[in-house]
Amino acid sequence: MIKENTEVVVIGGGVIGVSLAYGMVKKGAKVILIDKVDNRLTASRGNFGLVWVQGKGKGMPRYVEWCIEATERWPEFAENLETETGFDLNYEKTGGLEICLGEEEHQERINFIEEMSQASSSGRYDCEMISRKELQSMLPKITLGKEVSGGSFCSHDGCVNPLNLIKAMNSSFQQKGGGYRPEQTVQKIECSSSEFKIETGTHIFNAEKLVIAGGLMTTKLARMVGMEVPVIPERGQILVTERTSRVFNYPTAGIRQNFDGSFMLGSSHEAVDYDTETSYEVLQNIAKRAIRILPNLKNLQLIRSWAALRVLTPDQKPVYLESEQCPGAYAITSHSGVSLASIHSSILVEWILEKRIPRGFTAFHPERFNVQEAI
Amino acid sequence: MNSIRVKKFDYIIIGAGPAGMAAAITARAHGLSVLVLDEQPSAGGQIFRNIETLEATRKSEFSKLGQEYESGSSLVRRFKKCGADYFPDRSVWQIDNNLQIHHVSASASKSNSAISHCQAKRLLIAVGAMERPMPLPGWTIPGVMPCTAADVLYKSSGFIPDGEVVLAGSGPLLLLIGCRLLDVGVHVSAFLDTSMNGALLKALPLLPKALRSHKYLIRGLSLLWKIRKAGIPIYSGIQNIEALGSSKLEKVRISKSGKFFDVKADLLLLHNGVVPNVQITRNLGCEHRWYDVQRYWEPIVDDWGNTSVDDVSIAGDCGRVAGAAISQVSGHLAALETVFQLGVISQAERDKLSQPHHIELARHNHVRPFLDKLFQPGKKWLIPENDKTLACRCEEVKVSEIRETVRMGIKDPDRLKSMTRCGMGYCQARMCGLTVSEIIAEENKVSPEEIGYFRVRSPIRPVTLGQVAEID
Amino acid sequence: MFKKQYESHETVSIIFEGKKLDVEKGLTVASALLVSGNTVFRSSVVSGEPRGPYCMMGVCFECLIEIDGIPNQRACMIPVRDAMKIKRQQKNKE
Repeated sequence: MIKENTEVVVIGGGVIGVSLAYGMVKKGAKVILIDKVDNRLTASRGNFGLVWVQGKGKGMPRYVEWCIEATERWPEFAENLETETGFDLNYEKTGGLEICLGEEEHQERINFIEEMSQASSSGRYDCEMISRKELQSMLPKITLGKEVSGGSFCSHDGCVNPLNLIKAMNSSFQQKGGGYRPEQTVQKIECSSSEFKIETGTHIFNAEKLVIAGGLMTTKLARMVGMEVPVIPERGQILVTERTSRVFNYPTAGIRQNFDGSFMLGSSHEAVDYDTETSYEVLQNIAKRAIRILPNLKNLQLIRSWAALRVLTPDQKPVYLESEQCPGAYAITSHSGVSLASIHSSILVEWILEKRIPRGFTAFHPERFNVQEAI
Repeated sequence: MNSIRVKKFDYIIIGAGPAGMAAAITARAHGLSVLVLDEQPSAGGQIFRNIETLEATRKSEFSKLGQEYESGSSLVRRFKKCGADYFPDRSVWQIDNNLQIHHVSASASKSNSAISHCQAKRLLIAVGAMERPMPLPGWTIPGVMPCTAADVLYKSSGFIPDGEVVLAGSGPLLLLIGCRLLDVGVHVSAFLDTSMNGALLKALPLLPKALRSHKYLIRGLSLLWKIRKAGIPIYSGIQNIEALGSSKLEKVRISKSGKFFDVKADLLLLHNGVVPNVQITRNLGCEHRWYDVQRYWEPIVDDWGNTSVDDVSIAGDCGRVAGAAISQVSGHLAALETVFQLGVISQAERDKLSQPHHIELARHNHVRPFLDKLFQPGKKWLIPENDKTLACRCEEVKVSEIRETVRMGIKDPDRLKSMTRCGMGYCQARMCGLTVSEIIAEENKVSPEEIGYFRVRSPIRPVTLGQVAEID
Repeated sequence: MFKKQYESHETVSIIFEGKKLDVEKGLTVASALLVSGNTVFRSSVVSGEPRGPYCMMGVCFECLIEIDGIPNQRACMIPVRDAMKIKRQQKNKE
């Protein structure tokens, strides 16, 4: 058994864990990042790479503000990472679109945007409806399908290469002295008044602080230190095409053209437990919708597809929690780990290391789930 | 999904090579409904490529190919008459868990070729083998090809290499193709032998069994003798091979004993052994194991070719590579098993009917361990020493980049893929998968068995979005 | 790089890079181009380096070329047709 002592152990090498670990070493903390063995449970490699505000946070204005703040920090965050590592993140903040097919979707979107704008406490929520004509003029190089009725545009939105993001953060983390320990399965966590003892099959880590960012493993891990953090898996399937010249210059949640020219298509939502298989039906539905929006896509060859499991709390908004039973242990879980990487690596790190609690932070406490439960 | 027309069959066979054809013939003989899908425009697989046309229009060349081809021709004739639904020019792109299969035209250059869907009770994967990639510096220059490419051109079109040809690698197939080229007057300017030193010695312990089928050995030796007799310079103990040229191959640089020299070349034909094509078995989630002697992955199967996935079996060289004759035998055995599993014959009947096949299998297998050991791929040719060599041709990922990423702590191939793009291209890791497993294994000082392989997802072959959506 | 052993029986006319080529009927696009001395089919999408056919059996996707306006077709799997228009492809398809 290898024994290691450190200041902070972060459990979870996905985008959230790496963001936190990276932010902490930048603040000078001694950090060890433990990563798991199970390859199926990784939302961080399977996502769309959106840095997104539009469409998120309905019912929790604090979260909307949180997302907006994250997108505002993103440009500097990306620049720092690129300078530190030399890796290209392919980050673009062009604003993002949502494209509607038919009148019903269009009306639903109008209602939604209005609701979100009104709920925005700061008034910063900048999202507006655009007509089909405006939409087509924003996309001069590609023809919209006949059924496209219009859409919404949100200036906060952008996109990134999520794979390069993790690679860059992990690399910079290690460059700055962080210890990366892959192939670990956490078996036991013990907490005493002064420290945490984390046992995997091969290592025993002793740390003053423990950060659990274990994705779908968070529930099990958090319980070991007295926290109840419910998360469930939700499957999403994605298609990727061959490269073509860049014609689609704004990301949407269902279609985006990557920096290298390939098109990425989604989105789908299925509750299928831990099944990461793709299915003919869903792939077909995604392809069909994409072609209805951009008919020219039909000639592009599909090269890859995958399915990944989103990590969702009951209301799909973050949980940020410090254990009462074991102070110094934290659980961090969220959908949108990519979008929030800029804020996780800064504001959340300040919360963990310096105890600076962000405004309105109680919104992210999981007790909100108990309140919603009917007895 | 309910609206698509799905044609049902008892037995669906993917691959119309020796194994697939044999299986179809046997299955049909017992009355099963059989569908055979194959990517190529005619039956025969790689070894009997274009055999019908060859026999019909190039009779003298056909007769020179030997007795094996006569029997191959007869096999194709029996296959065509057996009553199986045979569809050439079809690429399978998706196989569902319930063995529903989706396929498109392999050659259509338009997006609106029809999709077809079919449903199997039992599925046979008989997609054969492929060349082990032999990455070396400059291997992406036009003019560098695997030796089977020359074989394809010869069989399909009668074309032969023009100009100076260099052969490099090891293995019986390279010898065979080399001799064929000599027979048609091709100028082979050098034979670069990369077989391992002392290979013959290592194989000697297995010799007594092998002698029972010594005609294989004699044939192999005669091929080597032929090349020697033709006066072709044979180089061994080579340290490095590099292909050089601007827009096409101009010369091959050979490093030996600390020195190097160049050989002018218009075509460099490579070969480092033949490996099972596991793309579909991996996609289906079959268990695989690492066959260390020959450094490749093979699906784990029982004596009947059954994989770890229900109702999916394999036959032929997409499992342990054994050549055309055994491929047919394993095809017959897999079909008999299916006929039994579908309740048409009893277990006793299956066992009785399969006896002659088992005997033949045993006979051919006497020499296989010896050959496998004799033609072990040399380690140095699995991972190029020159780090700048491209491991992944499609995405142009160098060996050095893969090593750097592994040293970041990345051990899993899929994670490596996400960080380097290696394996994300059109060929879907067929050309780099083995190399990646080898590099990660070497960096971690473990066997590739421990490292594993990329997860193989749909589409098994690229298809257009229009074909996925099934619109015109 | 490759040459014919004997004369063709039946030919078709294809157009490669704007020039007419008479090639034997039944050949794949890749074979037809190779035997007429054309060895570079495209420039690679990553670095732009010249690429041509490699495996000749549909596995490697090196022989991608534009046929009748549609790019990224596997030339080794597609038979030639009369009046087929074939063009090399540059880094990204237009």
